Amino acid sequence: MKKAILAASIFLVIALLVVIWQATHLPRPIALTPTLTGAEEFCLTCHNDLPEISPSHPIETFGCVLCHGGERLALDADLAHATMRGGRNPSDLGVAELSCGGSDCHTGSSELQRDHVGRVLTSLQTTYAGAIASIRFTYGAQSSLPAQMAIEAVQALHPPAGPNDFRPQRLAAFDPQAESHAFIQAFGHNCLTCHLRAEPLPGPDYARLTGCAACHTPTAGRDLNQPVHQLTTVIPYTQCNTCHNRGNYDLRQMSFVPRPDAPTDRLHDYYQPITQFTRCEYELDCLDCHTRTEAMGDGYLYNDQAEQQYVQCKTCHGDLESPPLTRTIRNEADIALRMAYLNPQIPLQIGDTIVVTEKGEPIWNLRQLADGSFEMIAKVTQVRYPVPLVIGSTCTQNPDQQESRYCHACHAVER
Amino acid sequence: MRPSFFHHLHPPSIPARQSRFRYTLGAGGYSVFLILVLLFSGALLMFYYIPTPAEAGPSIQMITFLVPFGALVRNLHYWSAQILVVVAAIHMLRVIFTGAYSPPRRFNYLLGLSLFVLSLFLDFTGYVLRWDEGVRWALVAGTNLVHSIPTIGPGLYRILMGGAQPGPATLTRFYSWHIFGLVVILLGIGVWHIFRVRRDGGIAVPPPEQRQTPERISRFELVRREGLAALIGIAVLLLVAAFIPAPLAPPMSEVTIQVADSKAPWFFLWVQQLLKSGDAFWMGVFVPLAVLLFLGSLPYLLTAIRSDELGRWFPPSGRLAQILVLALVLAILGLTIIAALPPPA
Repeated sequence: MKKAILAASIFLVIALLVVIWQATHLPRPIALTPTLTGAEEFCLTCHNDLPEISPSHPIETFGCVLCHGGERLALDADLAHATMRGGRNPSDLGVAELSCGGSDCHTGSSELQRDHVGRVLTSLQTTYAGAIASIRFTYGAQSSLPAQMAIEAVQALHPPAGPNDFRPQRLAAFDPQAESHAFIQAFGHNCLTCHLRAEPLPGPDYARLTGCAACHTPTAGRDLNQPVHQLTTVIPYTQCNTCHNRGNYDLRQMSFVPRPDAPTDRLHDYYQPITQFTRCEYELDCLDCHTRTEAMGDGYLYNDQAEQQYVQCKTCHGDLESPPLTRTIRNEADIALRMAYLNPQIPLQIGDTIVVTEKGEPIWNLRQLADGSFEMIAKVTQVRYPVPLVIGSTCTQNPDQQESRYCHACHAVER
Repeated sequence: MRPSFFHHLHPPSIPARQSRFRYTLGAGGYSVFLILVLLFSGALLMFYYIPTPAEAGPSIQMITFLVPFGALVRNLHYWSAQILVVVAAIHMLRVIFTGAYSPPRRFNYLLGLSLFVLSLFLDFTGYVLRWDEGVRWALVAGTNLVHSIPTIGPGLYRILMGGAQPGPATLTRFYSWHIFGLVVILLGIGVWHIFRVRRDGGIAVPPPEQRQTPERISRFELVRREGLAALIGIAVLLLVAAFIPAPLAPPMSEVTIQVADSKAPWFFLWVQQLLKSGDAFWMGVFVPLAVLLFLGSLPYLLTAIRSDELGRWFPPSGRLAQILVLALVLAILGLTIIAALPPPA
């Protein structure tokens, strides 16, 4: 009996040693208490090597869980990740309101244009309403062109601006299976790859995330299997290119035909055949001219791209009779300063005169200099471009023909 | 040697043959041992566990990942509880297959059966305290069974849940039952059960040839054997707890983010399987109660074991009971295995 008790005691001591060894070899938890939540989280135990996502989202303030969700106390990967919003991308539009939104963040006041998430949901890049309407009209599913449907049902954020405002107030969800025409079904199956809710096509040329990160996380040309922990407002044209200029729709097959090449030379192989474009369009980045509401919506629903995208050549260059519209920054509340603050390579300050669009949106990287001339600083490359004006030039444009296509008649670059 | 407090908890001597492992399987003793481990580890867990819907899940994660040795204590508690169900079932089968339920032990058999039911209730209430997605199905389905009882079901459901649906009151009630109500009843009946073992003549009646001059072992020897069993038991439990984590899922939320585990706890899988084949009340409440009634009535309905057959495994005069219980065990095991198999793709 004594021997048995001795053996059992040794067995117990071994078991205790195993337990102690195991407990002392666990990873040391790394705690973080973000000031916005005040709740301790331990994500950094494994993710300490990730770069900070952006200067606007310092980790000491935001932590990880506020945006990503997940189990903040769990040190088991499966459990910790089980409740993450949107998997690896919390800005997916299915969860962006929870991750990026909220009245203190990007679902703030519409007057201050802090209602980004709500506006993006109304944007054509999300609704895809123009393409859907065009196809449904072509194949007889709707009797007129104005949009009736979107990728998901959506309501405009604002009431009609007046009796002549014919923009839709709501769009129903487009359900290809409910369509009777085979081509519309095929369109639903083959062609819905470039809106903000859609997963991208495979390949580095299409490498983008969904939702906010589709534009704000620079993924172009990168391997999406590797984490890209970055948010930016400095969005190069290559990121836009993960959707745009990537191929053509074949209306006979009702399919998307990706272009086989990866464009590298913007002048010669960036655009589609027969496209007309000027120097601005192959040297600048898209966001140098196109505004935030063109890309992200303004809370109204639009019927097609031509309605939502309103910046023309004249926005920056003016016309025969007048220079471009301008505004002098009078105080710190001017939204142009906020936007320049997010891209601090451009030294905008109170007193500067900047170009604004006909809707009053600042082209805040296009300033009027002391001598009255205009200079654009490219947001991504910081290259300075003098901007010539139409007024006083030898241009013989018809004052009634102010859309860019008329400018292209003379100024298009020949490849 | 003067007997210590612990020696005095035992009878001065017991029949040697009836205290052998091959007769008792040590199951009753191990049940007591596991309950002591459960009380100790449960008391430690109470320092960290927060019984509110918002904090239950996070506090268990805190215990599991951040409290020093917290995972070990939680795993010890979990595995002791699971093993207790198995060991208590083995103890009950030993009693049935040795005919030890015969008079004068009929009443104590009922006490033991109620202890087994209590340990299932304790297991189930403890399972619910996780309040995570892994227990959602069991909580909803299990308590809806109560609701399905004719006439008294809805009222009983409200008493059990503290409302018309699972909520904060439910968690408080399950917690109170788990750490207090059921424990007090278990300890009361448990002490009574052990007292009745002594009052009814020790572990079992020795076989006839041993009854006149039974070979006996002293309480000193008995305590030594119990100590040896406890040393082995705690070492095995420590190793199990160190290497096999107790299950844990994301906290229960209003919105189910992932597909919840729709399995009952393993000891109720057979009931879950029955539920697939019929009405909730008949399959989920009536059949389990009938099984319990059948087990409880065994010593009262069937002929008592002949005195000269007592003290051995499988006395011939208890054949009917043995066959019926064996069939019941096989049925429950079979249903459990079917329910545990992954669903056909």
